[in-house]
Amino acid sequence: MEKISIDPITRLEGHGKIEIFLNGDGDVENAYLQIPELRGFERFCEGRPVEELPRIVTRLCGV
Amino acid sequence: MAKPKLALYWAASCGGCDVAVLDTNEKILDIANLADIVFWPIAVDFKYHHVRAMEDKSIDLCLFNGAIRSTEQEEIARLLRDKSKVMVAFGACACFGGIPALANFANREEIFQTVYHELPSNSNDSGTTPLTKTEVAEGELELPELFDTVLTLEQVVPVEYFVPGCPPPVDLILKLVDLFASGQLPAVGSVIASDKTLCDECERIKEEKKITKLYRPHEIIPDPNKCLLEQGIICCGPATRGGCGLRCIEANMPCRGCFGPPPGVTDQGAKLVSAIASIYQGDNEDDIKRMVEEMVDPAGTFYRFGLADSMMKRKRLHKR
Repeated sequence: MEKISIDPITRLEGHGKIEIFLNGDGDVENAYLQIPELRGFERFCEGRPVEELPRIVTRLCGV
Repeated sequence: MAKPKLALYWAASCGGCDVAVLDTNEKILDIANLADIVFWPIAVDFKYHHVRAMEDKSIDLCLFNGAIRSTEQEEIARLLRDKSKVMVAFGACACFGGIPALANFANREEIFQTVYHELPSNSNDSGTTPLTKTEVAEGELELPELFDTVLTLEQVVPVEYFVPGCPPPVDLILKLVDLFASGQLPAVGSVIASDKTLCDECERIKEEKKITKLYRPHEIIPDPNKCLLEQGIICCGPATRGGCGLRCIEANMPCRGCFGPPPGVTDQGAKLVSAIASIYQGDNEDDIKRMVEEMVDPAGTFYRFGLADSMMKRKRLHKR
């Protein structure tokens, strides 16, 4: 099946790519949005003092 | 003459560095007049295949923000390095690992365990974690592989200049642009910031006082005119490069080190331990033990932005 990759998706905050599969007629059979990014805030916020979190989680998204 | 070509990219980052470029306000028009932007995912629609098709060294200036923590980020860093004459580590994450490098206190497996299995907000009955290859009915999907260890840009590719900060302040961004536009870029390896420490630039009153107790924010209202460290509030100023414009200090908040170590300092956290130890005053062993206990999360404070760039780089990796 033919595959069209839109990589990266642009003009938004965050990382992503879209894979579009075309069937024999050239129509879209299926499309997948993938997020090729993980930083792990959920993990590394553990153990940090609560008063520091406003200065850490603001770096989840700076847009 | 053709305009110089400018590329901007984000790896493991939050987009704040990209927004800092936009924070130049009307000066962004000067930047657009000065150079053709050939790649900037947050703002302009060019794809990776456009970059791959470029000739080597055809990009004149690449501002690369974000740390490197996946095969894709490493690949794009190498790609942009090949295509660029001048590579700039832009912002704390690219320079020192930044906040994302706090993940170096864990490994990939531990991060996956927390993020995909343990979080109460999760709905993941099948226990799925990201796979580099997934078979679907229509074919195969691929994701980059995450590293155990978050890296700085310079740990992956050679870098000409460093612009620190989380995010870099507008005046330093414009300084870099001016140096580039006028052909006056400094010696390779230069940090576009101050050569002093934050303490040297801070105008708060310092009395060379010793401290006997450390305070958390709910225990004290800081005097806005006096040195925070001498009030018993951990401030990373003695071990941090200046040039930030004292943004946190002026908000009566202690520094957390986003400008990285000052000139001549290899390990920001070790320098900070030394600075704090020199003003710590305990009369006996119990006093000193108490004060050490008052220091909450020393590793996450002293290496808030610099763990990847530190001498230890990460928590020791135990692999099965």
